[in-house]
Amino acid sequence: MEIKVCIGSACHLKGSYDVIKKFQACITKHQLEETIILKSSFCLGKCSDAVSVQIDSGEVISMEPDAVENFMENLKKKVI
Amino acid sequence: MLSEYYMDVAHHSLNKYGEELCGDKVEIIKSDNRMIIVLADGLGSGVKANILATLTSKIMITMLEQGADIKETIDTITHTLPICNVRKIGYSTFTILEIDQDLNARIIEFDNPPVFILRNHKILTIDKIKLLSADKQVWISEFKLEVDDEITLCSDGVIHAGVGRLLNHGWEWQHVAEFLELQSTPSAEKLNRRLIETCKKLYDDRPGDDTTAVTVKVRNPQWLQVLTGPPELKIKDHETVSKFMSQTGKKIVCGGTAANIVSRELNREIITEIEYIDPLIPPTAKIKGIDLVTEGVLTLKMVLGKLKQINLNADEPIFNKKDGVSRLLKLLLEESTHIHFWVGRAINPAHQNPDFPKELSIKTNIIKDIVNELTHMGKLVTLEYTD
Repeated sequence: MEIKVCIGSACHLKGSYDVIKKFQACITKHQLEETIILKSSFCLGKCSDAVSVQIDSGEVISMEPDAVENFMENLKKKVI
Repeated sequence: MLSEYYMDVAHHSLNKYGEELCGDKVEIIKSDNRMIIVLADGLGSGVKANILATLTSKIMITMLEQGADIKETIDTITHTLPICNVRKIGYSTFTILEIDQDLNARIIEFDNPPVFILRNHKILTIDKIKLLSADKQVWISEFKLEVDDEITLCSDGVIHAGVGRLLNHGWEWQHVAEFLELQSTPSAEKLNRRLIETCKKLYDDRPGDDTTAVTVKVRNPQWLQVLTGPPELKIKDHETVSKFMSQTGKKIVCGGTAANIVSRELNREIITEIEYIDPLIPPTAKIKGIDLVTEGVLTLKMVLGKLKQINLNADEPIFNKKDGVSRLLKLLLEESTHIHFWVGRAINPAHQNPDFPKELSIKTNIIKDIVNELTHMGKLVTLEYTD
């Protein structure tokens, strides 16, 4: 599974850095390094809903740094 | 001037401690077939010296440009300069450097420290002919320049740097020459800044005299193409990208959407970095065949801020970090002589949201300002709208 975090201008201002750091921390915590590949991406086209995150080629969703932990918990249930 | 060669010129000054005006003055004229540089050092310091140096450099460069000979020019200066009430003389030392399109150089020196000419990092000694004009001893030398030669003109503030403080006799000509021989810099700007910054340190940040240096480096032109922003109309994407790619020189893409378009049009994968070198600076990306891919407006805004700051002082900027801003600055300042901006004015609808920071919608203005700052540094900058 691939998670893409947008690092375009708008998302950068809204906290891409924190979102990426949170994702990295969660992946390490849950030992998901083998299952999840975390990537960055330029503009995903949803600048008004920054920070944009895309799972594989799915829908682009809006993410806040504080929401990452919950999101990963849910994702983990689905993956495993 | 000189399509075959690029005359990279940089000059910087330190004012004598406590003075608002510099008593050294540099004038540069670049025309189609030649370049003239005059460095004048007015007697004394402050307002008086500034007036003497300004008159001297301005009169000289204007007359020489019009084709007047050197005797006539010196005569005019001697008869024009105001006489100082304290010293009863009107006086300004000067150095003139003329280079024509075939790299023939002529140097005319009057009482300034001898010019430093460097070829392959060694001082080149050129025979000088003495010319007497209005009881002034003027030295003239003529020679042919080669690519990568460097010439540094300076006022006596350079060779006296540190006198009576860190050094008993100041820096001295011979030591400055040895210092210059040890440097290996890609641009005149970098060498000149390094020299002036060293003087500033030797003076312990309190220059005892106005200190000025001008460096000329003969370079082969180095082109840099910068694509930023997609064209307004999507149908122009293909044409813009293929034109951009067919140009000579290094290529930079500034802007996420523009980068996505380049990647799509070239059918080459875009790989964005996930590791931040600096949390404040958006990460860069890679596309095969493009030398640097960065985010757009925020990176450019930071580049502009840095350029403005660099233009305000004479310190040598260091860009050894690997973030987008540092890498872009390094390419702009050290690895290019001619820079061409390809600007698209498509508007990202999401950036029009009133909640959005203002700076996101003003990219074209930022680029215009960047062009101004780079032109001020002596780069040949051109701008083209792709839509």
